[in-house]
Amino acid sequence: MIGRLTLAAFISAAFISHTSAETNYTPNEQALYEAAKSEGSVTWYVSQYNTENADTICSLFSERYPGVACNPVRSTGQVAFQRIQQELQAGALQADVFSTNEDSQVLQLKGAGQLLKYVPENLQHVVPRIREMGDPDGYWVASGVSPVVILYNTKLVPEEEAPRNWTDLYDPKWKSQVAIGHPSFSGAVGVWATAINDLYGWEFFEKLEQNQPHISRSILDAQNLVGTGERKISIASLSVALQDMHLSGAPTAMVAPTDGMVMPVSVTSVLDAAQRPNAGKLLQEFLLSVEVSEYLASIYRYPLRPEVEVPKGSISLDEPNLIFIPAQEALDKSMEIQGNFRDTFGI
Amino acid sequence: MTSASRTTEGSSIAHARWGSSVPWASRLQPQNLLWLLLAAILVVLILAPMSTLVIASFTDAQTGNWTLSNYAEAYGRARHVTALTNTLKMGAAVVALKLLFGVPLAWACTRTDMPGKNLVRYGVFGAFIMPPYLGGVGWILLAGPNTGWINRAWFWLTGATEPLVNVFTFWGLVLVTAIGGFFLVFVFVSSAFEMINSEMEDAANILGAGPVKTALKITFPLVLPAILGSALLSFLGAIALYGVPALIAIPARFPVVVIQLSEFFSFPLRVEVAAAYSVPLLLITVGLLGLQRLILRRKGYTSLTGKGGERRLVKLGRWRWAMFAYCFAVVALAVLLPFVVLLLAAFNRSWTAGFSIDNFTLRNFHYALFEHSSSQHALVASVGIGIAAATLAILLALCIAYIVQRRVLPFGQVLAFLAVSPYVIPGIVLAIGFYAAYALPPLALYGTYTILVLAVATRFLPIAFTTAVAGMRSIHPEMEDAVRILGGGRLSVIRSVVGPLLKRTLAGGWLLIFVLAAQELSTAIFLVGPNTRVVSVVLLDLSEEGRMEVLAALGTLLLLMIVAVVAIGVRYLGRDFMLRRS
Repeated sequence: MIGRLTLAAFISAAFISHTSAETNYTPNEQALYEAAKSEGSVTWYVSQYNTENADTICSLFSERYPGVACNPVRSTGQVAFQRIQQELQAGALQADVFSTNEDSQVLQLKGAGQLLKYVPENLQHVVPRIREMGDPDGYWVASGVSPVVILYNTKLVPEEEAPRNWTDLYDPKWKSQVAIGHPSFSGAVGVWATAINDLYGWEFFEKLEQNQPHISRSILDAQNLVGTGERKISIASLSVALQDMHLSGAPTAMVAPTDGMVMPVSVTSVLDAAQRPNAGKLLQEFLLSVEVSEYLASIYRYPLRPEVEVPKGSISLDEPNLIFIPAQEALDKSMEIQGNFRDTFGI
Repeated sequence: MTSASRTTEGSSIAHARWGSSVPWASRLQPQNLLWLLLAAILVVLILAPMSTLVIASFTDAQTGNWTLSNYAEAYGRARHVTALTNTLKMGAAVVALKLLFGVPLAWACTRTDMPGKNLVRYGVFGAFIMPPYLGGVGWILLAGPNTGWINRAWFWLTGATEPLVNVFTFWGLVLVTAIGGFFLVFVFVSSAFEMINSEMEDAANILGAGPVKTALKITFPLVLPAILGSALLSFLGAIALYGVPALIAIPARFPVVVIQLSEFFSFPLRVEVAAAYSVPLLLITVGLLGLQRLILRRKGYTSLTGKGGERRLVKLGRWRWAMFAYCFAVVALAVLLPFVVLLLAAFNRSWTAGFSIDNFTLRNFHYALFEHSSSQHALVASVGIGIAAATLAILLALCIAYIVQRRVLPFGQVLAFLAVSPYVIPGIVLAIGFYAAYALPPLALYGTYTILVLAVATRFLPIAFTTAVAGMRSIHPEMEDAVRILGGGRLSVIRSVVGPLLKRTLAGGWLLIFVLAAQELSTAIFLVGPNTRVVSVVLLDLSEEGRMEVLAALGTLLLLMIVAVVAIGVRYLGRDFMLRRS
C-alpha cells in the first residue's frame, strides 16, 4: 500500500518536475493549468486588440498551455459588451474572459455581480502604475494602456500644419477631412468623448459636426482612413498608430494634443458565470506574463511588465498631460454621451 | 362543419373541385394530417418568434404588465421617427432603381434579339452572387470621396479638388443596396416573360396594335404580378439589410431602421422597445400585400396551360446595340467595377497603392486562409448553412404553396401571410425573436448551427414561397385533376405532376436561397456564437478594423465557394437555370 502511494507520488512528482523544468509553471499556474485542461478551452471576448494581435496572443497561450484551446472573439467594446448582456439574459454565457477599453463596462458587470473575483498571481509583478489602474477589489485587472491622440497623414499634411490640440479638429480648414469613431460601438471613443465633454462641454461636438467628420464604428477604422489618405486627420489609439507606422509603413504621424491625451484603461476580467473559469483565470494570468509583454512591445504596445523595454514612441505613464476618466464617472455619463452623440451627428 | 363549409366557399370561387358533401371525418385522411403537420411546423417556426416579439412590444420589461410605453420610447424621439421615414425613402428609391435595372434587362434577355444575352445573364447572376456588403466595400474603394478610384481618376483628369462621386451619401446607399438585389426582379420578371406565348401578342398585332402598344397592353400587363411581387420583395429586402447601412449609412450619417434597432440592442438591452419599433414595419408589409392583391384582383394571369405555345423574339433592329449598352452599363455598375477593385485590393499590399508588381502579394489570401483565427472555419460554416437552410426552406415552401394555391386547408391565406412575413422583419429583429424563442432553455440553442439554419431558412422562406407559388400559379389544376381523376392521391400529384413540372423552378429557388443564405449577415450578426461565426460576420468585423485587403481576399474566397456550389447545382439541373431555352 505504502509502496503504491509512494510510487504514485513519485510519478506525479516526476511529472510535475518534468513539465516545470520545460516551461516553468508556478504551483498556482500548474493547478490552474490542470483544471483548465479538463475544461479544454477558453473563449475570450476582446476589443482591446485587433483580430490579428488577439489571434497571436491566443496561439502563444495554447503553445504555453497545450490542451487548452483559446478562441478569441474580436469586436468593438460596445458590441462585445452587448453580446455578453444578451448571453447573460439568455442564461447561456459563452464568454469566459472579457477584455475591453472601457472600464465602466466591467464596473457595470461588477455591480450586477457578474464578475469573478480573482487576483492574478502575476499582478504583483506588473508595472505599479498599471497595477493601480485595476480594480482594488480584485474583479478586474488593467491589461493595457494606449492614449487617444491625433493622427495625420504625412503625405497630405505638412508637419507645421498638423493640428496641435483637440479644438483644432473643428477648425474649418479640416472640413470633410476629419475621421472619428462612434461611442456606441467603440469603448475608446466613448472614453474620449466623455473626456472631451468634460474639457469643453458638448459645444465641442456641435462645432465638430459643422466639419462633417467621417463617422466610423471603431477607432481602428477611423485611423485607417488617415493611413489610406481618405481623410487627413483623425482621433487615434497611440499604440495602434505606432504599429501601423512601424509595421505596415502607414504614411502617418501623431500629435500629442496640448490639451491632454485621453487615456482609456484597457481591462480584463473573468465572468462569474463562465463555463470555463479556470481556463479564464489562466488566460488572465497569461495576459500579465512577461511573454505577452514581450509580444506587446514587439507590436509597439505598452508592455505591462517592467522587465520588458518600453517601445520607442510610447508615452511615459507619468506624463502630466494624461486625462483619466474614473470608471464610475464614465458609467454615469455613458448613456447621456451616447444619446447626445446620436442627436448631434444624427446617427 | 364551419370549417368544411368555409372550405367549400373558397373552393367554389376557385374551381369548385371539392364537393360540399364531403363529411368532416373523411377529411382526416393521413394525407391531410400530413398537411396539417407541415402547416404546424410553419406556424411554430414563424409564429413563435414573431408572437414573442409582438407580445414583448406590449410588455413592461420590469413588471411584465401590459404597456404602451415601449411604443412611446421607440417613437418618442424625432431621431427615431426620422430613421423610419429615411428607411421608407430609401426603400422606395431602391425599388425604383431595381426595377429600372431589372425589368429592361429581363425583357431584353427573354423577348428580344439583343446580342450578348448570355453575357448579360452571367453578369446579372454575378451581381447576385456578390454579397451586398462586398458590393458596398467595392463601391467604397471606387467612390470613397478622397481615395476612391473614380475620384482619383477625376482629380487626375480635371485637376478638380471636389470629388465627383461620394458613396457615403443617400444615393450611394441606394445604389449599393439596389445592385445586390435587382437580380430577384430580373429572375421573377424573366420567368414571367418566358411563360407568355406569342399567340396573345399576335392577336394584338392582328387587331392592328403596333409593337409598343402590344408591349404596353399585352406583354407588360401579363408580367405585372411578377413586377409587383418582385418590387415588394425588393422593398422588404432593402429595408431589412444590415451590412450595407453599417458600412455606408453610418459614415453618411443617414440613420435607418436597422441602425436604430442596433441601438436598442446595445446596452441597456431593450428588446421590448426594439419589438415596438419594428411592429409598424409589419403593418407596412400587410398594407403592401393588400395593395398587391387589390391590383391583381379579379384578373387571370394563368399563361402556362396544358397546351403548347410559341414564343417569338421582338426584333430590335438598330436598337439592339443600344439595348446591349444599357444592359452592360448596369452589369458594370453592379458587379464588374466593384469586383475588379475588390480583386485588386485582395492581391495588393495596400489597396490605395495602385497597380504595380511591387504591390502584388498573395499574403492576404494566406492570412485569410491559414492565419486568421476564424475565417477558415467560417467559410465551411457559411456554405454548410447555405445548403441546409436552402433545402429546409424549399421543402417547407413547396408544401405551403400547394396548400395555399390549391386550398387544401382552410385559412390558407393566413399561411401565405406567415410565409412571406419573415422578409419584412429586419434580420436582427428576426434574430432576436429566434433568440427569445429558441436560444433560452429548455431548447437552449444559442451558439449552435441549428438556430442559425432555422433562422436563415425562415428568413428566406418568403423567397422559397414566392418561387413555389409563382410556379404553382402557372400550373393549371387540370393536370393535377387528371391524376386525381385517375385515382392518385395528393402526394402522387406532387410527386408526378407538381414536382417534375416545378423541378427547374424549385432548383432555381434552392440556388437563390443558397446564395443568399451563404452570405447572410443580418440574421447571423446576433445569432452567431463564438464557435459558429460565418464569413459575413468575419467580413463585417474586418471592415470595422479597416482591413480592406484581407476583407477582399476572404470575400473572394467566399465567392469562389458559392460559385462552386452553384456550378454543381447548374450541372445537376442539366441546363443552366439562368440560360433558359432560347
